Amino acid sequence: MQLDEATRPPTVLSRLRAAACVLLAVGAPAMSHADATSAKYQLDATTLLYGEASRTRVVEPVARITRFFGGGGSLGAQFALDVITGASPTGARPAGGVQTVTTPSGNTQIVGAGQLPATSFNDVRGAVDLDWLQPIGAVFGAATGAHYSLEKDYQSAGVSEMLSFETMHRLTTLTVGGGYNRDDVFPTGGTPVGLSTGGELTGVDRNSKEVTSLMVGVSRVLSRRWLVGINATRSDERGYLTEPYKVVSLLDPTTQEPVGHLTELRPSSRQRTDVLGSSVYHLARDILYASYRYYWDDWGLRSQTLDFKYRAELGGEVFLQPHVRFYTQSDADFFTLGLVNGAPLPTHASSDQRLSHFNSVTAGLTYGFKLPGYAGVFTVRGEYIGQFERVNLVQEPGEAEEEGEEENGGAPVTSDAFPRLNIGTLTISYSLSF
Amino acid sequence: MRIWTAAFALVLGAACSGCAATAVRPWDRDLLAKKQMRFVPLPMEYAVDEHIYFSKEGSIGGHGVGGGGCGCN
Repeated sequence: MQLDEATRPPTVLSRLRAAACVLLAVGAPAMSHADATSAKYQLDATTLLYGEASRTRVVEPVARITRFFGGGGSLGAQFALDVITGASPTGARPAGGVQTVTTPSGNTQIVGAGQLPATSFNDVRGAVDLDWLQPIGAVFGAATGAHYSLEKDYQSAGVSEMLSFETMHRLTTLTVGGGYNRDDVFPTGGTPVGLSTGGELTGVDRNSKEVTSLMVGVSRVLSRRWLVGINATRSDERGYLTEPYKVVSLLDPTTQEPVGHLTELRPSSRQRTDVLGSSVYHLARDILYASYRYYWDDWGLRSQTLDFKYRAELGGEVFLQPHVRFYTQSDADFFTLGLVNGAPLPTHASSDQRLSHFNSVTAGLTYGFKLPGYAGVFTVRGEYIGQFERVNLVQEPGEAEEEGEEENGGAPVTSDAFPRLNIGTLTISYSLSF
Repeated sequence: MRIWTAAFALVLGAACSGCAATAVRPWDRDLLAKKQMRFVPLPMEYAVDEHIYFSKEGSIGGHGVGGGGCGCN
């Protein structure tokens, strides 16, 4: 039987292209197949509208152009712009009365009783991603990527390489990848000394941060309808990992009311590991995607993620794709809701909500369609993300030490430490091959 | 380190365990050849999602390596 272009089995390069679509996991160059293998170019455009209730708003347009070559290789370039406005929690605790909070960047705020202190900000981030895919013989493939992004107080530059090898009658694909990133953090107003009142600066304007990542993975065709895979990733971060604008409240030992604030301080290294299992199953007409990820790091944070998508084919490249995601994470060892005023300071401390225990649910729906008179495919997606159930996370002072963990000097916390966070997103995309 | 070694062994074991899997001949790959039969069916949306979760959660990782950081507060 002679297979035509549309039904030819996936080569190592097409598998690699699928893997390389997330070569740079954050701000990644999103690789795509051409709709038709004869196409020389593919244009992808996406706009994200992101909003948190009473907080951050983001508009992110992304454009990508891919040039395909006859030998199976391709070159891609992606450009993204993030326009961010709104407010972000400082980490300080609400007070029973009006409180004044001075952030490390020098802003002074008056915060009402019971309100979570947040600092207003706006920023524009520009990012460029380049990638090059090249087949090497019949069963090898290489994907090379480079990334650069710049915003008001942060610069990121990185490279990555991913190699794939198909074996066992092309039923198994082995993938090995590595990446290196060199970032610079240059906080507005200078770099505050950690665990200080914020007025003291380190004198260093640019703080470096290096990230090295390694990944091994294998995917396997189990049947005509079923593809499974497993990836393990390890990344080592070194350098300035503190959030310069976050603070930790000093709490009165009796009333638990905030009486002052210190800048946060995190360790200068972090080792992160995750294992991800994925499955794609073709039903009679529709497709079910499922994945599970387990993550852990040496800050003591653990997380689990379950993700399901169901692509219901409606015919003629029209589809509906519901999506649900369940996420849970534990708190980092040095996470605290506040330090007891007058008690000895811990080595590290942060009140950043992203380092606290919480659960999260995502629910969304994607609609893909074609418009009469327009080539290409449109997709519109709406999603809701809720973060909730942040409960008793911080040990009593002295408890962590007994467990052999880092002393955090934290105060006891209540079950309503953080309000529920509601996020809505709308993503509109267009893809055209020509 | 032991956990990392175990993860690597798991990946290698998964590769080898497929040796005896039912053969899928080239002419049986019509469904697998569809571009939506990928772990990441909509790459642009996936990249946007990863950026969101990177900004709002304490963990990262999945299908790729490296990546551009951001000062997401």
